[in-house]
Amino acid sequence: MAAPLTLVLILSVTIRAVLFRSSLAELISERVEVVSPLNAWKRVVEGLALLDLGVSPYSGDVFHETPLVIYLFHFVVDYAEIVFMIVDGITAVALYLAVQNYNKNVFRKQKYALEADRYPHDCLELMRSPKEMHYIPLKVAMFYLLNPFTILSCVAKSTCGLNNAVMALFILSTLKGSALLSAIFLALATYQSIYPLTLFAPGLLFLLQRLYIPVNPCRSRFWFFTVQYSVMFIGSLLVIVCLSFFLLGSWDFIPSVYGFILSVPDLTPNIGLFWYFFAEMFEHFRFFFICVFQINVFFYTIPLSVKLKEHPVFLIFMQIAIISIFKSYPTVGDIALYMAFLPVWSHLYRFLRNIFLVSCVLLACTALFPVLWHLWIYAGSANSNFYYAITLLFNVGQILLVSDYFYAYLRREHHLSQGLYLRRKDGSEATLVLK
Amino acid sequence: MAKFLFVTICTVANLFAFLPVIHGNNFETKATQFFSSGHTNNWAVLVCTSRFWFNYRHVANVLSVYRSVKRLGIPDSHIVLMLADDMACNHRNPKPATVFSHKNMELNVYGDDVEVDYRGYEVTVENFLRVLTGRLPPSTPRSKRLLSDDRSNILIYLTGHGGNGFLKFQDSEEISNVELADAFEQMWQKRRYNELLFIIDTCQGASMYERFYSPNIMALASSQVGEDSLSHQPDLAIGVHLMDRYTFYLLEFLEDIHPASQANMNDLFKVCPKSQCVSTPGHRTDLFLRDPGSVLITDFFGSVRKVEITREAINLTNPTELPQDLTSLRNELKSEALFYVDQLPVADIIHQKPKQKDWHPPDGFILGLWSLILLVFFKTYGIKHLKHIF
Repeated sequence: MAAPLTLVLILSVTIRAVLFRSSLAELISERVEVVSPLNAWKRVVEGLALLDLGVSPYSGDVFHETPLVIYLFHFVVDYAEIVFMIVDGITAVALYLAVQNYNKNVFRKQKYALEADRYPHDCLELMRSPKEMHYIPLKVAMFYLLNPFTILSCVAKSTCGLNNAVMALFILSTLKGSALLSAIFLALATYQSIYPLTLFAPGLLFLLQRLYIPVNPCRSRFWFFTVQYSVMFIGSLLVIVCLSFFLLGSWDFIPSVYGFILSVPDLTPNIGLFWYFFAEMFEHFRFFFICVFQINVFFYTIPLSVKLKEHPVFLIFMQIAIISIFKSYPTVGDIALYMAFLPVWSHLYRFLRNIFLVSCVLLACTALFPVLWHLWIYAGSANSNFYYAITLLFNVGQILLVSDYFYAYLRREHHLSQGLYLRRKDGSEATLVLK
Repeated sequence: MAKFLFVTICTVANLFAFLPVIHGNNFETKATQFFSSGHTNNWAVLVCTSRFWFNYRHVANVLSVYRSVKRLGIPDSHIVLMLADDMACNHRNPKPATVFSHKNMELNVYGDDVEVDYRGYEVTVENFLRVLTGRLPPSTPRSKRLLSDDRSNILIYLTGHGGNGFLKFQDSEEISNVELADAFEQMWQKRRYNELLFIIDTCQGASMYERFYSPNIMALASSQVGEDSLSHQPDLAIGVHLMDRYTFYLLEFLEDIHPASQANMNDLFKVCPKSQCVSTPGHRTDLFLRDPGSVLITDFFGSVRKVEITREAINLTNPTELPQDLTSLRNELKSEALFYVDQLPVADIIHQKPKQKDWHPPDGFILGLWSLILLVFFKTYGIKHLKHIF
């Protein structure tokens, strides 16, 4: 499987290199759907230039990257294109290995369950075969690398690619079972943007599952491991934050990065939900609604982890999707990460109900974003409501996609335990009614 | 007998004494006439408040008054011309760079040397009031300011669409008669005018001067409250009405005025009677201190300079020579040359560019980071790899 992967990597590198050298690169790096005030390359360059002039890059409202990003790009700013291509490659390879590992585990579990005869007899058609699962990792890598969103994000040199890489490495290390590495990468991801904090729950659940510790608050083993994991996570987060302090010698980066993410002062339009609301909000309600919107991102963790505690990898997928829909400055690069996971759930196809509608909505909205932006900003014949409508529709489409997959996954699990075709006690066909 | 003779001689002497006084009276009356109006300079503020092609006539109104005022002597530096739209260069104008006031394109009031001070969207109520009261930001150029003083006679001409008590600016805002009256009162209190002639050519224009309360204002309007001011004639080639009736007849009246004419305000009040104008023009003179019959048209519409012609010749002599002591002083002063301190140390800048110091991350940081990375690496992959390094 290494050869096709290398082929896909080479193809993606070629596409990106071609686009880097064309005139589209500047056009793309200014689009608000692809870059946000948090991860625009222009701002990174500006921050580094400020640093060379002897001024802290966090003075003023230009630079909102973490100090480790400063350290990374200080040496490689001239080779930025290659760095971003490598970063995309790392993400793809990490996802490839992670999904390969996951599929092996899934197949192994399925084999044991089949041998233990735990599945009802009529759901054998729901079983997954190695043949269908063979190409999934490659498909995942391909979905990530050749996704137009990823390509746009890479050509715009948005540091969203870096965030995606760190999250992919977190997924890889969690799936491989290494608690320390998983905690460290999670700490790095949380350090970059606060929202991956919600991935703590699925990571913990997966590691507990892997170590065969049942999720039971009464058991001491559960608490022992949880405390261990959280100590590792919080400890590495603290270490990284303190290390960033030593880079510039000041705590300026905390209000500039985390304060910026949490209090959303910059209302440049993007594909998210925050800007329009806060553009028209009265000052005295602003704090309340900031709290509401930010809690909204973190809120779904608890119910979802309760429901999906046996399926932590699906929980990771759902969490990443929720983060990229509800975060304060989303870009298309965030969407590309969870879309890369879709081939892993390709066996759910028969239970998906809205997939045609969702794909049409997403495609139409993606096409309409630049059109309505042009009409609003350049032609002056539309206004912000048009752009916001498309943003809303795009997010609704994403939510529909995620909830559709959730439904399909749960339905499959239900069938695996209750049987595919429901029969009443006398053998006649029954239907399931949602009351 | 001697007493009688004495009295007669006294009377005759007194008569003779009074003769020069009578002559003096003649001079005095001439002198009083010379200084009768009390103004030394003239200003004009001409405002067209409506935009869009179908309001061509308002721009033509203002430009015809501008033309007359310039012809009678007020220079561009003393005219504040505000046009809310550009008719001459409008793409619907079949004859670009022209604005006609008479049909069959007889008179192009745009001319070659029109100087518009406030154009397009700059013509707002705020800008108009700021021009009148003089409260403009320091960066405003002189051409946009009304730099009148207490000896200025100002002509203010407004045209556009109006109603009972308001005048519409740019189809989006209004100025009310109260605001206008207050602006004029501000001008009076700041001594920004000597006398003010206010002419307005809009529908129900008389309502705009109802509220004036400052002295020395004379006002004319094209129609009374409840009446509409009508336009004069359309030109079929251009497709719009070219002028309003009141200003059309005002222009005809002004074309007969020349800088030396003695026509007075009473003639102006008779311009455009109801037979020609359909609406009833109105005027208000109760705030004006002088009798309108004694006010010349050129007091407001022209810039008539008071010139004294003399037949005497004045010799301009050679520049006087300095007395001796002063020249010696000057020599003493010359010895010490004065110069400015070096404002810009050019030599320093050119020869000594400060070196661009690149920022480097502190060593402690690099050390800490890489040792942490190594630590994690070895913890994950086992300590046994350590021996491959050492």
